[in-house]
Amino acid sequence: MTTTSRAHWWISLSLLILAGGVGLAFLPPGKPLPVARRAAGDRNILRVVYTQPLRPDPHVRLFPLSSYNLFIQSLWEPLVECDPVTGEPQPAAAASWSWSADHRVLTLRLRPDARWSNGDPVTAHDFVRGWLRLLRSRIDVAYALFPIRNAEAYHRGARDQPGAVGLRALDDLTLQVELDQPRTTLAAELADPMLAPLHHSTETAVAAKSFYEQPAALVTNGPFRLTRANADGYRLEASPFYHGSAGVRLAGVQFIRANNPSTGALLVAAGKADLLPSMHFKSDWRAPTLRPIAVESELALGVVASYFNVTRGPLRDVRVRRALALALNREDLIEEADRPRLVPAWSWVPDMPGRPGLSLFIEDSGEARRLLAEAGYPGGKDFPILRMSLPLWMEGSPYPAACSERWFKELGVRVYVSYEMPATRNDRVHAGDYDIIYGALIATVPDPADLLTVFAMPVEFSETKWRDDEAIRLLTAANHKTGAERLALVEQAERRAMAGVAAVPLMFERRHALRSADVRGWYDDPLARQSPKRLWLDLPVASPPQPGRDSRT
Amino acid sequence: MNFVNGNGRTAWWRGARPWLIVWLAGTAVLAAILWWDARAWIQGAPQATFRATKLNLWPLEILWWLFVPAILLVQKSLTRVDRHWRWAITLHGLLAAIITGLFIVAQAARLVLVNHLPASFLPVVVNDLRWMGGWSYLPALVYLALILALYAFSFYREWRAGQRLTSQLQVANAQLETRLVRASLDALKMQLHPHFLFNTLNSITSLIRNHRAREAEDIVAGLGELLRRSLDHRQEAMDTLERELDFLRRYFEIECIRFQDRLKVEFDIDPKCLRAQVPSLLLQPLAENAMKHGISKDPAARLLRISAERDGTRLVLTVFNDGPPLPRDEAALTRGIGLRNSHARLRMLYGDEARLRLRDNAPQGVRAEIILPFRTSSSP
Repeated sequence: MTTTSRAHWWISLSLLILAGGVGLAFLPPGKPLPVARRAAGDRNILRVVYTQPLRPDPHVRLFPLSSYNLFIQSLWEPLVECDPVTGEPQPAAAASWSWSADHRVLTLRLRPDARWSNGDPVTAHDFVRGWLRLLRSRIDVAYALFPIRNAEAYHRGARDQPGAVGLRALDDLTLQVELDQPRTTLAAELADPMLAPLHHSTETAVAAKSFYEQPAALVTNGPFRLTRANADGYRLEASPFYHGSAGVRLAGVQFIRANNPSTGALLVAAGKADLLPSMHFKSDWRAPTLRPIAVESELALGVVASYFNVTRGPLRDVRVRRALALALNREDLIEEADRPRLVPAWSWVPDMPGRPGLSLFIEDSGEARRLLAEAGYPGGKDFPILRMSLPLWMEGSPYPAACSERWFKELGVRVYVSYEMPATRNDRVHAGDYDIIYGALIATVPDPADLLTVFAMPVEFSETKWRDDEAIRLLTAANHKTGAERLALVEQAERRAMAGVAAVPLMFERRHALRSADVRGWYDDPLARQSPKRLWLDLPVASPPQPGRDSRT
Repeated sequence: MNFVNGNGRTAWWRGARPWLIVWLAGTAVLAAILWWDARAWIQGAPQATFRATKLNLWPLEILWWLFVPAILLVQKSLTRVDRHWRWAITLHGLLAAIITGLFIVAQAARLVLVNHLPASFLPVVVNDLRWMGGWSYLPALVYLALILALYAFSFYREWRAGQRLTSQLQVANAQLETRLVRASLDALKMQLHPHFLFNTLNSITSLIRNHRAREAEDIVAGLGELLRRSLDHRQEAMDTLERELDFLRRYFEIECIRFQDRLKVEFDIDPKCLRAQVPSLLLQPLAENAMKHGISKDPAARLLRISAERDGTRLVLTVFNDGPPLPRDEAALTRGIGLRNSHARLRMLYGDEARLRLRDNAPQGVRAEIILPFRTSSSP
């Protein structure tokens, strides 16, 4: 090799200059960045950021995301909607409904003034068409209709005649729903955005994606209709045919695609968007601009829990299960970074509109040790090692290991946490070869009983293998009741299930939304089903152009 | 390969040119694909978005494609500072950091562009990427792996070249030894030539008859010395000019007896040249040629002069005889084994730095001239 005298100096100098140039891009701005001015055409347009792909199809869904609910509820209107305060079902596309005496048949009367975005009347046949389509699709979206007679059989192919499903359009404005079992919550369940009607042209338009070129080809019955669609998002305008258009204060909604929640938050901060319905809240996040922004937080209707296989070893003894439940300190369990997102779960059902949560599992290590000793395992002596079986993707979660550590520290009970490939774990769970599993349960119905049905499942499908006839009786009885009477029965069922300690509630989850101060009318919803027609913008009045000045400047 | 001299740069450029053409062609194809894919967005079509273009979807692939020639060029340049290996490691580390930084900034710029954020948000997005886990250090690892691979390939190539050179040198050495042995054998053959021996022995007999025993003894001693030196030098490639001339003097002592008073040998030697290193038995074939084709062929010829002088960094050796001019037949000129052997040995030992010329010396005689680098045993 030959060395030239100053080569390294020149190369070093060049690289340092380049490094300096690149490094400049890493320096945070020294002062607040400017906020973009709202375009004149966006004056009364609510600009919503979404990060997961959206499809203008109510019957396609991967996960009940807030942005998805906002999008679908902008374009389609189901039969009912839930009151933001009480959670009670309210008329939407249906004007009224009534139950048969045995609570097995629900008859809904549609609004005579309901119209599609092209002016066609919305009929009961459109709902039948939409719901049958839903039943023909994937199980994770079709199951919402399984309470309807023969719906599950039709979905699984056991019945191939749609007429066998307990769904009838008695006339253009009357829809009759026949159930397998009484289920008084069904009316509230019909507020699910997925249970939207389907115009006869929609399926073709969605399949051909013709709405990209002709937005009007997507015919919807919601408060807004599609005016533009491309890879950057969707633009909607208020539908003049919507029966409640007089009450809709927004001129339109624009759904803006962002690559991730962080970028979405920056779009709100930059004045390019007004609302980020779901964000990963970080307590030290600061907007880089001076735009007034509020972080909204709501408790999701779901629970993160450990499930005990009550047919295995010492877990057969309720005292052991209760000892494990009481040994956990849920406040300490939650990591500092997750505190904005996770809250301790003292019972199975979180707070929700019209129903505060219970406090059934307060940590008591002394009582936990006493119960374990009473069960014959003082200090964890002779206690066999338990297996907590988890899917591989949960390896990053600190909580299963934290529970295991706590149980060993407080009770001397050893729990082996194993992470397995999904197929292996499914086989293990199917064979019942586990002691504990860990997972999250999310409600799809705005009702506390929805979370409790996990304790009323047939043993062969239950992860806990726990069965309590009294709890099942209480939940069944609740399905015949409404209002406070029903809530009282549900609460009894919850207390019964928690007394059995087949599962230990650990944490509830909070969702966060970022909204500019201009957005008004935002409300908490346990299922993230905020309706865009209830929102409006409160913008400062634009100063009128001064006389003698060219407004273009 | 390096950029040390013009020839090196030219050779490197010749080697790199086909790859550069391939890269340019690839870049042209890539640009065409990207343009065709993004033409609607570039032309401002209302439905077109940057998000749907391959410019957005292929950022890493495009960046690597653009970076590769620059990386190769920088790696090639940094081999110049390889002796300063600490510098090289530092600079490669710095460059890996720069490339990683560029990828992060490019990723952030892509996010700014695709999400229609103001350009002033670029540093904010860069820092946001950090807590989102978007600061990928993979480019640094890829760069370092690439550099290591390039170094490994470069060292392997040099090692192979070294191996080839060693093999060539070994072959050359073997050939050289063969030539030396042949030269020794030629000298021995010359000395044991029946005619030469017969004449020498006759001369000795004549001297004894004339009671010139002392001279006879000298010739016998000279003949013995010739044989001994020939044998001694079979394994030595180089010797001093002084010893080489001693050898010639012994040879001429015998030849002078053969030619009686007709042969006049002159040595015109610069004393500074005596310690110069010369190939063993290099002058003897030339002297033999001068005797055989010069002095012997012309009864009037009688002078044979050996001279040595230093010309700067070169040593000039001359064997002159005043015999007949060289034959016009070129084949005859190159027929002599001794002369060919001397040529070959000079080429092997000195390459282009030495030469042997045989030419007529106007108005009379022939001159053999050897020019070779002036070196002594203490020279590096």
